[in-house]
Amino acid sequence: MIAANTKFTSPADLESFVKTLHSSEDKTSRSVRVCIGTGCAAKGSRRLYELFVEAVKQSGQDIRIEAKHVGCHGFCERGPIVVIQPGDIFYQSVEEPDVPEIFRETVLGGRVIKRLLYEDPSTGKKAKRADQIPFYNVQQRIVLANNGIIDPTEISDYIAKGGYAGLAKVLASMTADEVIDEITRSGLRGRGGGGFPTGLKWRAAKDAEESPKYVVANGDEGDPGAFMDRSLMEGSPSSVIEGLTIAAYAIGSSQGYIYVRNEYPFAVKHLSMAIDAARDVGLLGQDILSSGFSFDVRINRGAGAFVCGEETGLMASLEGFTGEPRPKYILPVEKGLWGKPSVINNVETLANVPAIIVKGANWFASLGTEKSKGTKIFSLVGKVKNTGLVEVPMGISLRRIVDEIGGGVPDGKQFKAVQTGGPSGGCIPAEHLDARVDFDELTKLGSMMGSGGMIVMDEDTCMVRVAKYFTNFLQKESCGKCTPCREGLAQMLYILDRITDGEGQVGDVERLGVLAELLEDTPLCALGRTAANPVLSTMRYFRDEYDAHILQRRCPAKECRGLFRYEIDAEACKACGICLKECPVDAITGEKKVPHVIDQDKCTLCGTCWDKCPFTAVKKV
Amino acid sequence: MPTVTIDGCKVEVDRDATVLDAAKKAGVWIPTLCYHSSVSITGACRICMVELDRGDWRQLITACNYPVRQDIVVYVSSERARKARCGIMELLLARSPESEELKALAEQMGVKGTPYPTVTESQRNCILCGLCVQVCEEIIGQAAISFAGRGVDKTVASPFRQASEDCIGCGACAAVCPVGTIKVRVHKDEREVEISPFKSRAKLLVCKNCGAPTVSIEVAEQALSRLDIDIEEFRQLMQFCPKCRRSQAAACLKSAVFDKKKNECAAG
Ligand SMILES: Cc1cc2nc3c(=O)[nH]c(=O)nc-3n(C[C@H](O)[C@H](O)[C@H](O)COP(=O)(O)O)c2cc1C
Ligand code: SF4
Repeated sequence: MIAANTKFTSPADLESFVKTLHSSEDKTSRSVRVCIGTGCAAKGSRRLYELFVEAVKQSGQDIRIEAKHVGCHGFCERGPIVVIQPGDIFYQSVEEPDVPEIFRETVLGGRVIKRLLYEDPSTGKKAKRADQIPFYNVQQRIVLANNGIIDPTEISDYIAKGGYAGLAKVLASMTADEVIDEITRSGLRGRGGGGFPTGLKWRAAKDAEESPKYVVANGDEGDPGAFMDRSLMEGSPSSVIEGLTIAAYAIGSSQGYIYVRNEYPFAVKHLSMAIDAARDVGLLGQDILSSGFSFDVRINRGAGAFVCGEETGLMASLEGFTGEPRPKYILPVEKGLWGKPSVINNVETLANVPAIIVKGANWFASLGTEKSKGTKIFSLVGKVKNTGLVEVPMGISLRRIVDEIGGGVPDGKQFKAVQTGGPSGGCIPAEHLDARVDFDELTKLGSMMGSGGMIVMDEDTCMVRVAKYFTNFLQKESCGKCTPCREGLAQMLYILDRITDGEGQVGDVERLGVLAELLEDTPLCALGRTAANPVLSTMRYFRDEYDAHILQRRCPAKECRGLFRYEIDAEACKACGICLKECPVDAITGEKKVPHVIDQDKCTLCGTCWDKCPFTAVKKV
Repeated sequence: MPTVTIDGCKVEVDRDATVLDAAKKAGVWIPTLCYHSSVSITGACRICMVELDRGDWRQLITACNYPVRQDIVVYVSSERARKARCGIMELLLARSPESEELKALAEQMGVKGTPYPTVTESQRNCILCGLCVQVCEEIIGQAAISFAGRGVDKTVASPFRQASEDCIGCGACAAVCPVGTIKVRVHKDEREVEISPFKSRAKLLVCKNCGAPTVSIEVAEQALSRLDIDIEEFRQLMQFCPKCRRSQAAACLKSAVFDKKKNECAAG
């Protein structure tokens, strides 16, 4: 904790504070860290935290015990997660009744409760610490280094882990040009989707003539199912603020904004607390660390439109206008917010900056591939055993992410495709699973890095439906300003609808192709210009599924109603009569000891028999 | 001054002039819909797409708002540019199938019809170019209408879709509407003007002489307050319809000339 009225007045001041923090760390102290990230909180971890706080209060022990709430650990599949110090003991799937036992046995008694440890499903081996779990040991955490460790509402926790050392170094010893050179040499590229070189962007803004200049952190994160930026802002808000402050110093800005969607209340709260705390201790505001550099940050809450994540839409929204994109023939670095030079960076991009400053461009550039450096956070979801938030070095293969971190596809099903890049990304099939996580490699495959969504699909996924799902999302999120996106997506959806309804016409694939081409070339913003990707990538790799729907009125994955039938496998049927009783339209006939039969004329394809059959004798054909 | 080469024809324009400005200077026609020289440029309709040659790659740009900052080469009639413009037109035709103005433009562009069904109908025959919204706000200063909804549900509407009290019935929106969807209707009996489809109405002045409706009272008032002219004389003029004003003027003239002649005769 920082004493009231503490104000750091120089970089040296900050450094000596860190020293005192470290020396006062009691080696015998114990702590309970409860994850309150998105996944764990949804499973009730906030209540667990309260129970631990209560237990600490009531214990009356004179040893120091601390109950902390921390940001997302990433292993959401196994949440809520509780980590006990000393020993880094990693408990997963913790429930309320476990709290007294954990407190008594592990916190006070130092004994491990085996039942709560992670068990490797293939080897049956129990893991005591996170680094013994495959989900974690393939990962490399730079941006998420503090997640799961620090209390995001305590700036001293961040400072103790080396936070603000980057800003201190910049203010003490680097010119703006040196900062930009360092970031340029590191090879850092934007994590918000476009992959634009960050150093180049900063250089252009610094060189722009007009003033004032602005820096903006983009925390809008509108991709369905994504929670990378949310977890970062909730779990380590100060790293975003520090990165933004360094960006401001580099381009000569004294005012910054963080744009966060209002659906992320804890991101907003933790960021606000971190800003207030930084201001209180002199890391934001006038004359930061007596360097002469002044900078402050405001939070703006967005109403949740996907298109407000697009930089010009975001700026329009910040200015108080409808969040609609603007033409970008003159870039925001020249005319951005209120027509002034502005740098807008994704929050993950910014959170990389302090580490690059402290450890150096060479260190960062040594990670990853030739043109994609550092690490990338993904939210790994869909048909994998271990869903969650992962940070991996660039260059790792998709296969390792899916198989080693994700643990592969569950229930013995076949892997079919992995969708990367958010709603306007693409689906990568099994034959390209060895592709590396690299901006250019993913783009070549018809997908993209995007901001880091990763959805795994198995054999039961209909790829035409996948295309339709994302097209529908994008059509709903289109701002409607320009013709091709507004009208073209509606036409595409109309065709996709009829294909999945079994009414596809010969030539529909070609019609989709014509619309896709128009969409790639003509819309005003990148939402429209990338909106055909889901259709294009599924047509490229799964054309046979489109053809089966259109020419044979058949859905190979058996997901589209009306394009497959239910039949009872006579050999597997034990004639138990359950389906017969459950069928709401009396379409099933049969007697004792006689295999049952579905009357296809009566069947409405509701799927009840398929759900209820205890012998999985009902098949989709 | 940068040079723009359009389909091989070279023209010089001021820095930050648009490709459309250059095309006009070169005498090359590029279709436009949401562009109007009196209001700010949004680049929304995308009908003016042309191809920009960047040396190692080519890119489609909107001519109406692409600023010329150095010598550039663009193609209006290239296959890719033409295909893009026609594609946009086909989508618009599906959206606004009944607009004669749109059909005429399509014909001028060589687009015969549309392969698409009408699937977006948030507002019939409106292409959402936004000129009406802009003119009402930027030129008239009333902002009586604006965009409502978004995406395919986007429409142009008055607040809460009720007749707007801010509408002064000037009809500027109808005048700029490129597809003829906004109409000015005069209700003679009620001495009112209606702007359709916004349902707003404004009271009209009627000619002192023949009783024909002239202009909305509010427009006359605003004109009087904004113009730097002899108000009394203007007020007098506004009391008559253009026709009566003309015949009055003619009568005046006639009497002046006739009287002069008579006087001359008498003198002679
Ligand atoms: C439709 C659309 C949505 C976007 N959403 C986001 C977003 O939620 N977060 C983000 O950082 N960037 C988003 N972007 C990218 C931004 O426009 C911009 O490129 C980015 O914030 C720049 O930061 P970076 O260079 O650090 O990536 C979006 C782009 C588009 C076209
Ligand atoms: S491409 Fe779509 S989202 Fe972007 S400006 Fe056009 S209509 Fe709006």
